[in-house]
Amino acid sequence: MILAEKLTSMAYWSHFVSIALFALGLLGFLTRRNALIVLMSLELMLNAVNLLLVQISMRTGTSEGIVLVVFVITVAAAEVAVGLGIILNLYRMKKTVDLGSFRNLSG
Amino acid sequence: MKEAVFTFFSLFTLLTAAGVILSRNIIYSAFNLVLCFFGLASLYLLWGATFLSMIQILIYAGAIVVLFVFVVMLLNFEKPTEQKTRFSIIVLSSAGVWTLALILLRVLSKSLGEIPSLETPAKASVRTISKLLFSQYLWPFEVLTVFLLALIVGIFVLARPEKEETP
Repeated sequence: MILAEKLTSMAYWSHFVSIALFALGLLGFLTRRNALIVLMSLELMLNAVNLLLVQISMRTGTSEGIVLVVFVITVAAAEVAVGLGIILNLYRMKKTVDLGSFRNLSG
Repeated sequence: MKEAVFTFFSLFTLLTAAGVILSRNIIYSAFNLVLCFFGLASLYLLWGATFLSMIQILIYAGAIVVLFVFVVMLLNFEKPTEQKTRFSIIVLSSAGVWTLALILLRVLSKSLGEIPSLETPAKASVRTISKLLFSQYLWPFEVLTVFLLALIVGIFVLARPEKEETP
């Protein structure tokens, strides 16, 4: 019983860790204006979700969560590559990566 | 003992993640991101997902952050061009984000706390993962490979330097 209690409390704290990681990523996404740091915050959020998936799939003894994390990692790598390509093109246009300066579409 | 290691790596991951979003210099952000990914890989290792922790170090810390550092080098900032965010935006978004985090914590601990935990931690061996990947998840796997091929072409078109002379 004591072991089960310890496991549940550890599960609780690991939920806390992944949610706090997600919150930090979201905070960086909302407050920073450098496009590269916004991309890094996106990575943090994806990693928080990965951590939660790993925990749940390990606690229940299934491997589907792990497979899902492999897919997420692949798509995240692709997303970073495309995002950095877009940022490079934006930097060629405006000579800055500040997100507030890309206002061409706001009329 | 396991709890102590777990606490250490959790705090390490959270602190370096805070360093990513707080530091002014972008290269410090990138290196904090590397440390954060290493902390996450150790957490995966503690949970028993050895294959994923290897993948995490190889792809995230090895490839993605190198890509970030490479682009920072390519952009060649002389001075930080980022303007300060308005204080009201910071206050509002942090209030919203932490409220969201509390709600998520409540919901997750309610809904996932009832999952019976195993006495012995599960082992996600490479054999199990690859069997799943090539039987039940074969179709998403193949779609992903085609997606990566399309990605290579897209990146090439996107990041190609502009031609000087137009015919």
